[in-house]
Amino acid sequence: MKKLVLKRLLQLIPMLIGMSFVSFIIIQSSPGDYFAQMKMNPEISPETIESMKVNFGLDRPILVQYLLWLKNMCKLDFGVSFAYHIPVRTLIKFRLKNTICLAIFSLVISWVIALPLAVFAGYREGTFIDKIFSMLAYLSISLPSFFVALLFVYFISKTNLLPLGGTRSIFEVDASSFALFKDYMEHLLVPGLVLCLVNVGGLFRLMKNNFIETFNTPYVLAAWARGVPRNSVIFKHALRNALNPMFTILGMEIGGILNGAALTEIICGWPGMGSLILEAVLSHDLYLVMGSLVISGFLLIVGNLIGDILIAFFDPRIRIS
Amino acid sequence: MCRRHRKINLVFLFLVLFFCVPGRSDATHGGSVVISSSSIPKSFNPVVAKETSTTFITGFIFEGLTATDGITQQVKPNLAISWNIDSTGKIWTFYLRKDVYWNDGIQFTARDVKFTFDRLIFNPDIPTSSRDVLSIDGKPIKVEVVEKFAVRFYLPERFAPFLRLMGQEILPEHKYKQIVDRKAFSFSMGLDSKPEDIVGTGPFMLEDFRPGEWVILKKNKRYWKKDSQGNSLPYIDRIIILTIPDQNLALLKFKKGELDMISLRPQDYLLLMKDKPADVKIFNVGPSLGSEFLVFNQNLDSSIAEYKKQWFRNVKFRWAVSCAIDRQTIIDNIFAGLGHPLYGPVNESVPEFYNNRIRKFHYDLRKAEMYLAEAGFKKGSDGLLYDRDGNQVSFSLITNSNNSQRIEQANLIRTDLEKLGMKVNFLPVDFNSLVTRINSTRDWEAVLLGLTGSVDPHFGKNVWVTSGHLHLWNPGSPSSVYSWEKEIDSIFQQAAMIFEPEKRKQLYDRWQEVFCENQPMIFTATSDVIYAVKDKFGNLKPTVYGGLFHNIEEIYILPIESGSSKARKKIGK
Repeated sequence: MKKLVLKRLLQLIPMLIGMSFVSFIIIQSSPGDYFAQMKMNPEISPETIESMKVNFGLDRPILVQYLLWLKNMCKLDFGVSFAYHIPVRTLIKFRLKNTICLAIFSLVISWVIALPLAVFAGYREGTFIDKIFSMLAYLSISLPSFFVALLFVYFISKTNLLPLGGTRSIFEVDASSFALFKDYMEHLLVPGLVLCLVNVGGLFRLMKNNFIETFNTPYVLAAWARGVPRNSVIFKHALRNALNPMFTILGMEIGGILNGAALTEIICGWPGMGSLILEAVLSHDLYLVMGSLVISGFLLIVGNLIGDILIAFFDPRIRIS
Repeated sequence: MCRRHRKINLVFLFLVLFFCVPGRSDATHGGSVVISSSSIPKSFNPVVAKETSTTFITGFIFEGLTATDGITQQVKPNLAISWNIDSTGKIWTFYLRKDVYWNDGIQFTARDVKFTFDRLIFNPDIPTSSRDVLSIDGKPIKVEVVEKFAVRFYLPERFAPFLRLMGQEILPEHKYKQIVDRKAFSFSMGLDSKPEDIVGTGPFMLEDFRPGEWVILKKNKRYWKKDSQGNSLPYIDRIIILTIPDQNLALLKFKKGELDMISLRPQDYLLLMKDKPADVKIFNVGPSLGSEFLVFNQNLDSSIAEYKKQWFRNVKFRWAVSCAIDRQTIIDNIFAGLGHPLYGPVNESVPEFYNNRIRKFHYDLRKAEMYLAEAGFKKGSDGLLYDRDGNQVSFSLITNSNNSQRIEQANLIRTDLEKLGMKVNFLPVDFNSLVTRINSTRDWEAVLLGLTGSVDPHFGKNVWVTSGHLHLWNPGSPSSVYSWEKEIDSIFQQAAMIFEPEKRKQLYDRWQEVFCENQPMIFTATSDVIYAVKDKFGNLKPTVYGGLFHNIEEIYILPIESGSSKARKKIGK
């Protein structure tokens, strides 16, 4: 297992270098730069803009700029944001926490809903209740996330059930930490539920199919025939094996944290990495984009690694080989 | 604070009282204001970061020697009580208030002013556009401390806008000197600061913030302004600024009562009026200072076709286009009727400089056709327009694709010009590409753009003079320059050096007349500035220039009538 982890972490390096190099070249090659807005301001002279460019090292050749950036990355210095004038690492730190909270929340809730329902429906395959759940699952799969987000935001705004946008509504200095926590969770619910609604359907279907497939295997039939109690058959024999492929999915979902949530974050006004990257790309804030991309790539690999470790943990066959 | 004065100077006292805020017997201390900002504040550093998202916040925390009054737009004393100019007009001496303290308790003196100019603005290690605005012909200003509370500026030339420019934020030497010595100032006072890192003299100071979510400002207990009854200002305890990038979401929150004030776009105004909450007041304060305009490329050295250059350089062609644009339809469609037509570079929201006697090309298709005929253009039997050499009048119009209002406007203009037989190929272009084409490659034929405005025309100089870097229609090429452009160059050069307001106005009036006569930029329309506010504030005096908060220190929350069911903050915290 240790060898697997080590191998994966080593694979990170060439992947990140390749990805960052391509992104760097693409961003630099697109027309315009961060200073486009400033050029249209009569009060800022071209000389000042030039000196700002030199300040940020943008007057050197592209390859030199990339190598300098790489060198700084090795020291975990992500560079400085043009727009915010502060280190990229600081900006990402602020937003990353929000995105991770959102991702974990929606991950946990969607899995906690989808998996038991899938087992429940799988056990009752072909019945009316199974058909209802399957129909709902199809609905969830076919609706795009931004559409669900928009509908949900509209619904919440009409019914005033939950706060919209931002992470806090309480600004009293003496608010208790419980009240602050409750406030944060209330704000998290809107984007969190949107993501759940979108993901639940796919998970449900996958898990249900896995379960049914496992349930119809000879060894489960044999256990059933031997008189093993029903619950034991379902949970110990069938479910544990049905869960196997789901760990790979889990790994992929952890890796896809940043990307999946971006649109939802933007529509629901949740201040996370998604809106940060979008703004950075649109304004050519070079080092902020690069930093976000690197984090994104890192999380992708680490997520998949976690998935693989989980499989190895649960499946002795893989461990031994 | 007044007890610290050794001498009681009657003139000083008179000035202090004169500029104090009149007291209100019903003014109560306390309460919070919740507002929204559509852009994320990028920094708290007023020297380095100049975007509106930042200046909106730093405007509450920092102050300058003078201030521009939000209502009259006149320059008034602020941290400086008085000033005088020597006979050459180049040496200005400012006498500073002696009762001002930075929000960390240290006294404000002339050394802070010298520090701000020498070590921050004119420091070559610090990239700031303040340097451009405060340099006259590229030469810096020399600053000298005369006494503890008097500072002298040596200007390279006479410079009339200097007084208004002294609204420049002053920063404290004791707090930032070491950071500047370490060459770290450009990256300081950013979103990673602690509240005690942001030290100013203004009515508010930073209490708490989370980047991209909110900023909370609390009252500066050491603020020097008092009302006429000697009560400390500001009245309000806290300002909570929520970052809500989506304007629709902001309107929703305002309707739900989560925000106290909001600035309305035309479509927001219509939505709000449909189901307006009872306790909301609407202020329409007049046309905004921004402008929208159409420009033709008149540069002889550009890469566009020669015959097109001849069209664009023909003043009657431009008159015809200006007459053919239906400005009222643009206002009705894009600003929902809440706008004003524009005919020149200054609009009526700046009464000090607005010249109403400019030539206005009102909507008149027959006049447009007459001007085209006089310029040798003829409509063919196919209904399309041809010039005197038989070339079909067809050109491309570009604008930035991220502004949906401008795209709509461009389409309306295209339809208008088609009535004259012109064929307009409209293309929305990504903003960055647009800027590259306009500034660097200069390959464009017609462009629809907008600019924000200012009170003093001098600050837009780079658009109007031939050497300016935003002289869009005729950049940098001496062979293309018209004699009227040379007249405008000379007007701007003279007007900057004349102190008498009437003489300056005469010059700028002439500029507007010459400009409008030649229509190098064809102005279209601008929207009105509209605010919606919860009816719980006193002393609210919104204006186009000052916005809602130019007099933030005197705004207060009205006392609640007894028996009101809504819970509010307790008075007199």
